[in-house]
Amino acid sequence: MRFAVRRRDSSKWAAILLFLPPALLLFSIFVVLPAGEAGWYSAFNWNGFGRPTRWIGLDNYRFVLDNRAFGVAIGNNLKVIAVSLLVQLPLAMTLAIILAERFRGAVALRMLFFLPYILAEIATGLMFSFIYDGNYGLLATIYGWFGAEAPHLLASPATAMPAILVVIVWKYFGFHMMLFIAALQGLDRGVIEAARIDGATGWQLQRHVVIPLLSPTIRLSVFFSVVGSLQLFDLIMPLTRGGPADSSHTIVSFLYTFGVTRMRVGFGSAVGVILFLICVTFAFTYKRWFMRDE
Amino acid sequence: MSKARLDGTVAFKALFLCAAVLFVATPLLATVLGGFKSLGELRTNPFGLPHSWEWHNYADILFSSRYWTLLGNSLAIALLTVALTLITGSMAAFVFAHLRFFGSEMLFAYITAGLLFPAATAILPLFIKVRDLGLLDSYFGIVLPQVAFGLAMSILLLRRFFRDLPPELLEAAVVDGCSYIGFFGHITLPLSRPILATVGTIVFVQSWNAYLVPLVMLNSDRLYPWPLGIMVYQGEFSSEWNLILAFITLTILPTVVLFLFAQKHIVAGLTAGAVKG
Amino acid sequence: MAITRRILLATTTLALSSHIAASADTVVKWLHIEANPAQVKIWEEVARDFEAKNPGVKIEMSFLENEAYKAKAPTLLQSKERPHIIYSWAGGVLKSQVEAGVLEDITAAVGDYKDNLSPGAVAAFNVDGRLYGLPHTVSQVGFMYNKALFAKAGVDGSKIASWDDLLDAVRKLKGASVTPIAVGGADKWPLHFYWTHLAVRIGGKPGFQAALKGENGGFESPVFQRSGELFKQLVDLQPFQTGFLGFKNPDAVGYFGDGKAAMVLAISSFYVTQRTLSASKAGVGDDNIGWFNFPIVSGGKGDPSDTLGGINGWLVTKGAPKEAVGFIKHFISADVQKRLAAGNYIIPTYKGAESGLGSEFMRNIAHNIAASKYHQNFYDQDLGPNVGRVVNDATAEIAGGTMTPMQAAKAIQDAFRQGN
Repeated sequence: MRFAVRRRDSSKWAAILLFLPPALLLFSIFVVLPAGEAGWYSAFNWNGFGRPTRWIGLDNYRFVLDNRAFGVAIGNNLKVIAVSLLVQLPLAMTLAIILAERFRGAVALRMLFFLPYILAEIATGLMFSFIYDGNYGLLATIYGWFGAEAPHLLASPATAMPAILVVIVWKYFGFHMMLFIAALQGLDRGVIEAARIDGATGWQLQRHVVIPLLSPTIRLSVFFSVVGSLQLFDLIMPLTRGGPADSSHTIVSFLYTFGVTRMRVGFGSAVGVILFLICVTFAFTYKRWFMRDE
Repeated sequence: MSKARLDGTVAFKALFLCAAVLFVATPLLATVLGGFKSLGELRTNPFGLPHSWEWHNYADILFSSRYWTLLGNSLAIALLTVALTLITGSMAAFVFAHLRFFGSEMLFAYITAGLLFPAATAILPLFIKVRDLGLLDSYFGIVLPQVAFGLAMSILLLRRFFRDLPPELLEAAVVDGCSYIGFFGHITLPLSRPILATVGTIVFVQSWNAYLVPLVMLNSDRLYPWPLGIMVYQGEFSSEWNLILAFITLTILPTVVLFLFAQKHIVAGLTAGAVKG
Repeated sequence: MAITRRILLATTTLALSSHIAASADTVVKWLHIEANPAQVKIWEEVARDFEAKNPGVKIEMSFLENEAYKAKAPTLLQSKERPHIIYSWAGGVLKSQVEAGVLEDITAAVGDYKDNLSPGAVAAFNVDGRLYGLPHTVSQVGFMYNKALFAKAGVDGSKIASWDDLLDAVRKLKGASVTPIAVGGADKWPLHFYWTHLAVRIGGKPGFQAALKGENGGFESPVFQRSGELFKQLVDLQPFQTGFLGFKNPDAVGYFGDGKAAMVLAISSFYVTQRTLSASKAGVGDDNIGWFNFPIVSGGKGDPSDTLGGINGWLVTKGAPKEAVGFIKHFISADVQKRLAAGNYIIPTYKGAESGLGSEFMRNIAHNIAASKYHQNFYDQDLGPNVGRVVNDATAEIAGGTMTPMQAAKAIQDAFRQGN
């Protein structure tokens, strides 16, 4: 018996020592270390060659916060969140409620609506730069009917960001719809039936019974909208690259444009640290305040 | 409930669905059809069916080595990423699922902290790291960071599945003198095909579509995956939209085909993966 | 003594070519940003020609679009896979690349060959007494205009000499419903030409040098504030095509080539590209295209003959095979320079090659540059990778109305103080 335990013990440690290190090493080298180094590098004015030597303390953070385009980028991230909550979420939920029922074509429609989500952001962005193109696209056609010259939506600081927001809804609402469909299918049919028997009909039923039951999913959907907004980059590049006149940057596209392409490692790292803090703070507070029951 | 009101609701739903279908399908159709048009026709008729089908737009791309190099690179990078994620992720998940030891909880929390922030936050130090390791301009310069940033979610999903496997299996196997490693190889993995497929699909789609990490790590178009390649293509043919649209269509085609064949895993994976994200 | 030297020579050559000896072919990777197919075709022929004359050497060309190249260069240069020959606008960007240690010192390899080229252009590729590249063309920034559209509005391009003349012309063109100016605002640098050329006119060479020394508030000095204010005067007339902030430079140049705008503040090489980028591929014809130098500003300290423009050439990166220098020399040889000049693609740097320029238009440009005593390189390159970009950002913001001239000058000076 003692022998068996020892053997079992050694087999356990063999598994641990063999199985854990690869994942731990990869994760430490490529995730934890760079995240920590971002903090260190952010205290230097460094062009990435050799080793950092010009220590400038917290100046990079000041430069970031002083930069007008960074403020615009934060504002744009907030706009994305707002549109996700005010347009995308209701749209996704309505479609989910309609498509959760079984009828001919429902599954095909679900798939169609989900399709944009799996397309690459780069391809999506390029498609829409065509749609928005003032010479060829949708608007060009519509304006053409009236013999007018179409506006270049992506070319004006006033319209570029709204145009991007439309693409975001197009691309991501299907994902949120699927979340709601999954939740609706997992709902306790009994509760809904009971309400129906009590005389609740149509919208009443949705409003007072189904939507409250969906509230965990709504909180989840909000969570993903925010996290998605904070990572938004791929879609911006083919559409506007953050322009015109730096009006449509997100935090990440700001980081890329002002940090990576100019190889200002310190400055870019400072932006990274700020983004990191926003992400972590958000994740903790949100989970704590809104998702306690999960 | 009166018949009239019922019809009203149905009509509203039908109208709403139609509008949504139009919203989603128009850009997709315009892209596919646009690739069949001449530039002149695209200007006058961007959304209708082509008057004359310019098959050569597509054929020229399909017969170019450029297209296949891009897809080949994307495929190689995605498959390597999936393989490494599944191997390292499932091994670690197995330990976290079945073996308790001093610090195991802490290590698990350590790894799942990876869920909290995206790769973009550390992209510059990551670039420096990959450069110092001499991995710039290699598949592994992209694969390793992708695996590392995907591990947290993969381990979470795999661990949950491994835990839900009947515990009697492990007890019986251990009594029979089977080692943990043997159990992992002979019992856990074969029983976990569904979750491996799901995790594999998510990781594959993410890698296939990825842009930022390859953009920063790769400089040689020999190694470019398709999202980088298509941006170069667009820079080159800046306003020849018909060619660009054909190129877009042909590069998203594999994704759509994969989606049609593996929709179960993709939908389950992306939403389930998200649920516990 | 002679023997030792010969052995030394042999070993150095051996060392230089050691990694080459392994494979039969030496591959020289050449990254260019030329998008004009006609010109690329000639370049390809030049490469094939070089290969024929140098058996065992292969020139491998690759292309990156201008903006993509600038964005990629900093990461590109840190890779082991970096190309051996890269494009350069000289200036502060070159200097920072030298400091980073990613370029090859080619002083010895070039030797006396540089004496064949225009000394001013060669000097631009000289950093601290060492040569890192060779120039193959120079250019001038000025207004290219469409004579027919000018006539329609009753404007005579040859009479535009002062900034006020320009503003008047813009008003008249607008009055005649002609889009006065095309500009590629999405790329930002076409907009920075206005601000920088105004500074060249207002402050002259002393103004720029004072700013570099940080005198009078550096780039916040009255010279640069005035540049911003005058630029704002122009912007306020809304002279640019609709959606100009979304046009990349090639789009805008094509727009001019299509005859949709009366002017473009052009690099002289646009003379050819406005054709290839136009829808008809014919562009604005020789009988219809005009050029006037950037207008002077009353009270400005700059000499009217001062020019703003580029000095473009090729750099050799660290670790490149020695054949890379051989190829650059071949590329900037009399024959090739004459051939490119005859096609009006470049203002050549090879002495005497400018006589072969294929058009009166380009000969005039060559004359302007030759007569200039102060040829200011593009600020976005000259001021280095960071500060230069901020100049672009800030001028685009003036054009977009999101920054005042004061704020723009301050942003640039702040960046300048931070350094590159």
